[in-house]
Amino acid sequence: MTTFITRRILQTLAVIVILSYVCYYLMSLMPGDPVDMMVASNPKITAEDVQRLKALYGLDQPVYKRFGNWVGSISQGDLGYSRTYRVPVQELMGPRLWNTFILSIASLTLSLLIAIPLGVISALKPGSRTDYVVNLFSFAGISIPSFWLAIVLIIIFAVKIPLLPAGGTQTIGGEPLGFWADLADRSVYLVLPVLSLSIQQIGRFSRFTRSAMLEAMRNDFIRTARAKGLSRSRVIWKHAFRNALIPLITILALSFSGLFSGAILTETVFAYQGVGKLVYDSIIQNDYNVAMISFVISVSMVLLMNLVADIAYGFADPRISYQ
Amino acid sequence: MLNRIAKGLMLVTGVALALPVAAAPTNAELKIGISQEFETMNPLIMTMSASAYMYRMVGRSLVNLTPEGKWVPQLAKEIPSLEKGTAKIIDEGGKKKITAVWEIVESAKWGDGKPVICEDFITSRMIATSPTVSVGEKEQWTQVEKIEIDPKNPKKCTFKYEKAKWDFYQLAQFFPVPTHLEKPIFDKYNKQKEGYEKNSNYVRAATNPGLYNGPYVISEVKLGSHVSFSPNPYFYGKKPNIQKIIVKLIPNTGTMEANLRSGTIDMISTLGLDFDQALAFDKKAKAEKLAYDVHFVPSVTYEHIDLKLDNPVLKDVRVRKALVYSINREDLVKALFEGKQQVAIHNVSPKDPWYTADPGMITLYRYSKREAGKLLDEAGWKMGADGYRAKDGKRLSLNFQTTAGNKTRELVQVYLQNQWKQAGIEVLVKNEPARVFFGDTMSKRKFEGLALFAWVSSPENSPRSTVSGKAIPTAANGWSGQNFHGWSNPQVEKNLDALDLEFDAKKRAALVHQILKAYTDEVPVVPLYYRSDISVTPKSLKNYKMSGHQFYETNNVEDWNLN
Amino acid sequence: MSSNEIVMTNIELDENSLSAKDRAEIEKAQPMWKMVLTQFMDHKLAVAGAVIIAIFMFISIFANQIQSITGIDPDAQNVSNRYLSPWTTALAGPDVRETAVERFIMNNPEASDKVQKALIEKGLVAVAEADAIYELVATKEPAAVLADLKSLDIPDTKNLITSVKDFETFHFLGTDELGRDVFIRLVYGTRVSMGVGVLVAIASALIGLLIGSIAGFYGGWIDTVLMRITDALLSLPTIPVLIVMAAVDLSKFEWIRESKLITPSNESIIKMVIILCIFSWMTVARLVRGSILSIREREFVLAARTLGAGDGTIIVRHMFPNVIAPMLVSITLGVGESILFEAALSFLGLGIQPPTPSWGNMLNNAQELIYQAPFLAILPGILILLTTISFNYLGDGLQDAIDPKAIRR
Repeated sequence: MTTFITRRILQTLAVIVILSYVCYYLMSLMPGDPVDMMVASNPKITAEDVQRLKALYGLDQPVYKRFGNWVGSISQGDLGYSRTYRVPVQELMGPRLWNTFILSIASLTLSLLIAIPLGVISALKPGSRTDYVVNLFSFAGISIPSFWLAIVLIIIFAVKIPLLPAGGTQTIGGEPLGFWADLADRSVYLVLPVLSLSIQQIGRFSRFTRSAMLEAMRNDFIRTARAKGLSRSRVIWKHAFRNALIPLITILALSFSGLFSGAILTETVFAYQGVGKLVYDSIIQNDYNVAMISFVISVSMVLLMNLVADIAYGFADPRISYQ
Repeated sequence: MLNRIAKGLMLVTGVALALPVAAAPTNAELKIGISQEFETMNPLIMTMSASAYMYRMVGRSLVNLTPEGKWVPQLAKEIPSLEKGTAKIIDEGGKKKITAVWEIVESAKWGDGKPVICEDFITSRMIATSPTVSVGEKEQWTQVEKIEIDPKNPKKCTFKYEKAKWDFYQLAQFFPVPTHLEKPIFDKYNKQKEGYEKNSNYVRAATNPGLYNGPYVISEVKLGSHVSFSPNPYFYGKKPNIQKIIVKLIPNTGTMEANLRSGTIDMISTLGLDFDQALAFDKKAKAEKLAYDVHFVPSVTYEHIDLKLDNPVLKDVRVRKALVYSINREDLVKALFEGKQQVAIHNVSPKDPWYTADPGMITLYRYSKREAGKLLDEAGWKMGADGYRAKDGKRLSLNFQTTAGNKTRELVQVYLQNQWKQAGIEVLVKNEPARVFFGDTMSKRKFEGLALFAWVSSPENSPRSTVSGKAIPTAANGWSGQNFHGWSNPQVEKNLDALDLEFDAKKRAALVHQILKAYTDEVPVVPLYYRSDISVTPKSLKNYKMSGHQFYETNNVEDWNLN
Repeated sequence: MSSNEIVMTNIELDENSLSAKDRAEIEKAQPMWKMVLTQFMDHKLAVAGAVIIAIFMFISIFANQIQSITGIDPDAQNVSNRYLSPWTTALAGPDVRETAVERFIMNNPEASDKVQKALIEKGLVAVAEADAIYELVATKEPAAVLADLKSLDIPDTKNLITSVKDFETFHFLGTDELGRDVFIRLVYGTRVSMGVGVLVAIASALIGLLIGSIAGFYGGWIDTVLMRITDALLSLPTIPVLIVMAAVDLSKFEWIRESKLITPSNESIIKMVIILCIFSWMTVARLVRGSILSIREREFVLAARTLGAGDGTIIVRHMFPNVIAPMLVSITLGVGESILFEAALSFLGLGIQPPTPSWGNMLNNAQELIYQAPFLAILPGILILLTTISFNYLGDGLQDAIDPKAIRR
């Protein structure tokens, strides 16, 4: 087991390095470098300006060299400078990563807490009225275009019934009122984004729970367990649910990986100050340093979570073994 | 039955959308919505419009262009001129140069009480021209060769310009920075590449009042979210009425209106709504008697179509003329914009003193399908049975590109496509994200036919960068310049050079009119319309004046009043 | 199926020992597909979903026919009649009317000559002869024009009368920002969105099935390589790839241009399909791999192997049936997801390019004007919702019906 994990970690590290080069290369493939963009927006930039800027930004060097320089400065702890916002990257990204993390964790927790029981309940009584209602709700949740849902939520809860703010991360310009008041203030701003993210995730998770659970309940050992006279709840949770975990873990791991890359659409519509919108803008505006750091974070998260999922398989199903 | 359902649905949504109105804002606080990103507000480095919009509240330059299009002094006591003798043309080693005496307003102070002095201009010039600082365009700084401070008065100095240009006094972006705060940083980090930018007070301590000299200072900055402003106690001008201003970023224009109606913001800035939205909101505000004014002010943003003159089809001037003849721009403006934006006839806007619509001076094109047909027939493009024109078995077909996702442009594009179809010209839409469109397709001249986009200029601005043959981007000049169509005309070149050095306003206009004559005769560009700037303000906001050019309405923010 | 027949013959041998009721029961024994169908039919909502999908499929296949029946061109604009509400009639713009008259005069010079003269004689218009028909059409309502033309009683005006009749268009679902008919655009949007969704879901499920099963079955270094590739693609940021793709000019490749597969009007659709495929097969691959991993060590696989079955046989005959159910869920969810993904890309300006209508770009275009023309946003939104739900129910029903272990409802 330990050798397996070490090997996987090493593999993952290698993939991260390779992938970050691929990302760097992809960025350089995108038409128009930062100086081109500058030229396009300012008619007065001269040929000398272009040359000077390219040299200043290091754009006159080949991609691998630039990548090398970038890795070099990263390893020294310098994440670089955002050319779009004109601030160091860590100052720009730190609070936003935190905001996105809060948003994702909140919606993930909420949706898991609701989705798993819903999925199990409907799997236990397939074809019942409860099952129908849960299914309808899940399917509707999966099927609503997210930005559309977000706008509708704003119209209902911020404009029509002015209960919640239409957008933002926290109240601007208020005096600091202490930890709890701040927390309350921020939660108010979280309600709508979390709601709009959760409605979709609940649909997804409860569908997967349901089908995994149905599958598990059909196994012979469930019948055996029942025949042995084990209590219903013990059969459900100890035997069936454990077997339903594998597909669930896969899906969960995949969702976890999006934790830091954020939800571009939701963040944009709610003007939520997260990292998703930032990443999109940094790519569009060719803000290399910001974009690369986000790539590395999102790539590492995905790989890490896949690793966790693979390890978790082993615990969930003893038949899966890693040599 | 279906009719009833449809009506029912309309009713339901209608009811759901009939909204309560937020309380009217007071002088205590004004929240402005903006839909474009902003950056750190270092006046030497910033390039984004949203930052420029906000910076005008906290920083002023020597001179300023009023909404009426007149240059007036701002930080300076007066504008130097040859007539008054405060500016002189001198001869230095056979080169004509100009010197001008500038004097800063006596009471002008930075937000920490220190006076604004000529030294501050020297500092900003020094920083901006440093090779380690990534300032895009250096010309506006290098045009001032030398600044000499009057030994008796630190607020008085003489600028020496490297060329004797008539517009030497238009130093709109020549912002001072506080020497006492920024100089030590520059000295310390000057050696390091981009060291100054990373460590400047504008980044590290953006709320230091000493960095600003406008009616307001910045009290809070959150990039990607908002900026708060509070009055500057040391401001030399009128005391601002509004005690707190917050500019809030709402990246999605679709929710801008919801934010306005729910009271998250009180007004929408020039950089806020899409045109179609504003049009609809205007009607709605009037119908529901909402307490908002929607302003439409003609701007200097020139929407046009660049024609790639290297394209064998477009090489023929008759085809280019036919393209103009066969579109009804008056109808376009009426139908799509309800007359709230103006038809463009060339690249000088009606706001500009250089403007002319005199048919004796320039060539005008009235919508005429017949004229277009005649020209195309002459050029050998004959109408075929399929409704398209063809020559030598090849269909008259052109690619048409613009920035994907810009709704108004896509609307205009489809409208034009339809009109050209009626004239037998096939136009194929091939749009790209702005990133690709500007960063590659246009700047490297990879477009093949028509390209729809806009130029933002300012009144009395030389059209050199878009019409001079020297401004055609090539690999050799690092793809600089914006003459994407590739037009080149010797007479125009001559006039452009003469224009810079002509100190007589009438003669300048005459030179420009000659350029316009060639421009409208040879049609390297299809002029479409001038955009209008749009903003939404609460009815109670007084003294709000939009300019339509790069000196945003925030330039007179101290006059705004909500009482 | 053959096993069923054997059972049948066996039963017939000792039919006397069975009661009538049992016999009836057993005679109902059916081929596999019939069983699946019966089971499927029991799932009411799945059937409803299938019907809705069939309707949309029908619409998208026969979009051209629908266009010719209604006689409305999806690209025909009428900018003086923008944002009309449903169930209204709009008059064509002056330029369209003028073009129609021009065509008539060009094609029927004699008849038009007569008409022009007659119009002036009767004093119906008071302009120069050459402009008579133009004037009539420009100033009068189509009904009045028709009445006037009929009153002239000139035989060859049939063409003119038909085109005048076309001046008035009935808009069942209103018009959009350019005065185009919303109904016919939704019809074409159905074709684009459904086409993209179905194509992407099937293609990516197949890729995912292939890679996932190979990785799961063989394990070892094959698994490692394939799964690292999957991880890599899964973690590759979508947006830069999309922007790079947007910059690629597919028609520049010789073989693509030769094959005539790509025309400017479908280029963005094909790009969309490719992009969505690249980014959507990995989930299926991981799911399939996960399932196969857990099946690999089961008794029936071991048994098959002991009996000498080859790898291919084991994968296809013993493992695929066990992954079909999750696969079907994935495909059906995939169709909906692709339609939604396309809509989301439209929101970022990277979707299918106008003027080609898709539900996604129609919805995105409308969302900014949600206050002013809510209907424009509601319609594509409802269609997306309805289709995605239908596909989900269809998948659900199929899963229950195909799975041999499923409980009968």
